[in-house]
Amino acid sequence: MTGAKLPQAGSIFDPDLLSRCISCGFCLPACPTYGLTGDEASSPRGRITLMRALESGTLPPDDPTLAEQSSFCLGCRACEPVCPAGVQYGELLEQWRGFQWAGRRRPLVVRLLIFAAERAWAHRIAGRLRGAARTPARTPASAAGPSLMLGCFERSLFPGVSRSARALAPELAVPARQGCCGALHAHNGEPERGRELAGQLGAQLPGQIVTTSGGCAAYLAAVIGRDRVTELSEYLRDRSFGEIRIGDRRARVALQDSCHLRNGLGVWREPRALLSAIAEYVELPGAGRCCGAAGTYALVRPRDSRRVLDPKLDQIEAAGLDYVVAVNPGCLRQLRQGLRRRKSKVQAVHIADLLRQAAR
Amino acid sequence: MLDEARISQPVLAELRAIAGPENLRLAAGELAVYARDATPLFRGVPDAVIAPADAGQVARILRLATEHRIPVIPRGAGSNLCAGTVPLNGGIVLSTARMNRIVEVAPDEMLARAQTGVTTQALNDAAAAHGLFYPPDPGSRTVSTIGGNVATCAGGLRGLKYGVTRNYVLGLTVVLATGEIIRAGGRLWKDVAGYDVTRLITGSEGTLGVITEVTVALLPDPAVSRTGLAYFDSLTQAGRAVAGILAAGVIPSTLEFLDRKCMDAVEQYAHLGLHSDAGALLLFGDDGDEAAVARSFERIAAACADCGAIEVQTAGDATESEALLTARRCTLPALSRLGSLTILEDASVPRPRLAEMVARIDAIAARHQVTMATFGHAGDGNLHPTCVLESAADTEGIARAERAFAEVFSTAIELGGTITGEHGVGAAKLPYLEQRLGTGQMALLRRIKTAFDPAGILNPGKLGS
Repeated sequence: MTGAKLPQAGSIFDPDLLSRCISCGFCLPACPTYGLTGDEASSPRGRITLMRALESGTLPPDDPTLAEQSSFCLGCRACEPVCPAGVQYGELLEQWRGFQWAGRRRPLVVRLLIFAAERAWAHRIAGRLRGAARTPARTPASAAGPSLMLGCFERSLFPGVSRSARALAPELAVPARQGCCGALHAHNGEPERGRELAGQLGAQLPGQIVTTSGGCAAYLAAVIGRDRVTELSEYLRDRSFGEIRIGDRRARVALQDSCHLRNGLGVWREPRALLSAIAEYVELPGAGRCCGAAGTYALVRPRDSRRVLDPKLDQIEAAGLDYVVAVNPGCLRQLRQGLRRRKSKVQAVHIADLLRQAAR
Repeated sequence: MLDEARISQPVLAELRAIAGPENLRLAAGELAVYARDATPLFRGVPDAVIAPADAGQVARILRLATEHRIPVIPRGAGSNLCAGTVPLNGGIVLSTARMNRIVEVAPDEMLARAQTGVTTQALNDAAAAHGLFYPPDPGSRTVSTIGGNVATCAGGLRGLKYGVTRNYVLGLTVVLATGEIIRAGGRLWKDVAGYDVTRLITGSEGTLGVITEVTVALLPDPAVSRTGLAYFDSLTQAGRAVAGILAAGVIPSTLEFLDRKCMDAVEQYAHLGLHSDAGALLLFGDDGDEAAVARSFERIAAACADCGAIEVQTAGDATESEALLTARRCTLPALSRLGSLTILEDASVPRPRLAEMVARIDAIAARHQVTMATFGHAGDGNLHPTCVLESAADTEGIARAERAFAEVFSTAIELGGTITGEHGVGAAKLPYLEQRLGTGQMALLRRIKTAFDPAGILNPGKLGS
């Protein structure tokens, strides 16, 4: 965390990645922040122009637009699937934040979160106190069998999720000794530390890793390999469960995609198929768009986070739903808080919890 | 006169008062992102970016700019490919992003009225809700604005059957450089009162006025739309097939071609299983009612077979049609992956000379030692020769590509064609415009420009300059 050399203009970005953008602008309509402002600077194309200006020295490293736009970006990567040139925007953003948020320039709340995430023992204790799933301590993960990843914050924020996952898939080993996947670090200015943590987690859980967090899945897959990482709805895709009924009808449910699961790993059919099997599935018009949680974003930029969330809450309420389903703990927290603020009757749940309810 | 484009503090204060402080951007980083559009190699940093809310604010901005001789560059989504929105002389970029409301769709009059910053896709979606559609479909329709489409007279894949943007513009609200707000045309199909100012503004690339509202004609959404493709040994044969299809009395909604180099790039990128040694791919499509589409497909397939097609495939349903269209849709992405700099160009020739033109392009590219692949609209003779360079820093390669393109454009003119079919002139083609129009017409363009914009503030360095 400390002592690492600050990247210098001219060597911040991977030149091959930075040169890919052809500035066609196809990303503009997919970008939530461009949707809010209509300003080129807050579009993916504009941000790549800014990255290039930083790299070439056209703009000084302390330029305020660079600082603002690198932080205003949600990092949802909705620009990637629509990009005809195959720009890996998520990678570029990690490299950009690695520069903009190096050391003391990182927002305080992000520093606190990273500090907390680094205390693996604290998660273990919190997880135990809150009753997250676990197999007996010191059970080593087996190299052959799949194991369940507990996540750093999900373990204490939503301990029921891992219990549900375990109930749905009892064959999963759940070693208590497992750290953070590093996505938090990578997306918030410490790409190298992120990769290191992902590597460590990959060693702690040597076989197939099943995760209940779309964000963690995408990051972990990018570092240790797609073949070793499976998101829960992918893992359960071929199983069948019961039904969720409200009175004499099937429950109405909608999915909120996890951005990185959808845009990074291309997983979006699987959770829909599972939900369609257990309830009346409703596709929200903006299901694939970011909810504004975006990792640390809801804490770093609460006002913008709510501006992104609000139209989504309108859609959720207009659709007459019983449940809106998340496949990532950050989205779950964001939706739950937003719906609570509105005193909405719609409940936000994690897909693991709803499937478990259907299986009962 | 326009050289010192720095804007004085009192003028900035007035601009701030007109559009609101949050809609005026002046920071170096905020300006840097407006230095370019989708066209490579053209740059110019503006001095200010302003996003007005309506025609009234646009009028006040233009009056101020005329008074102080400050360039104004109207900009929609910045997705054009002719450097039409690059602020070559600095000045004020006028973004239409906030004028993004669909005013009405009137099914009984088969028209829609929208503010200039509405995307083409959004306009078409609004029409679709009434069983209608807006036929021009430029490749960038998900991002491009209707105002930008009118300003460049955008084309698309359906040009042969349905025409281009100009065929659908019924009326425009335009703010002149001197601040008058005029309403050209209206909502009538027949209206010959006065010069056709609506058509003059269409394709004027922001040099005659700022379009703030557009009224377009709509058509009933066809029930069925289907696609097929045919392979030929050579583009010459494909060209003969195009003539054969039209001679059989069919006007297909889509008639696209890919040369061998495009097919190679697409295959390498998307592994679609395209024919491995055909010289040309012809993609055809038609829409209408089920029986009519079936009938035209029979005739198209017969015409292709008569002209020696190696293989003809027709889609059974919408999903298969989409799959066939993929080859055309991913041509540019596939080509762009061959290098870091992709120069996508645009020229048109009379339909019967398409194959000859592609052969000439290949010879020119070989002579200048550049890689050029060509695809485009076989039905209307509109080609997109595309040059890919390994590195954007290869100045010597760029110079060779520019020399090659200069020859491509003069060749197009020599064959009775033009220097741009649908991308526009902008700053990119202005050096070639006189070759196409001649001195007399160039002088007329300048006089028209002066009549609309006496101080020459609107998009300087483009048409009429």
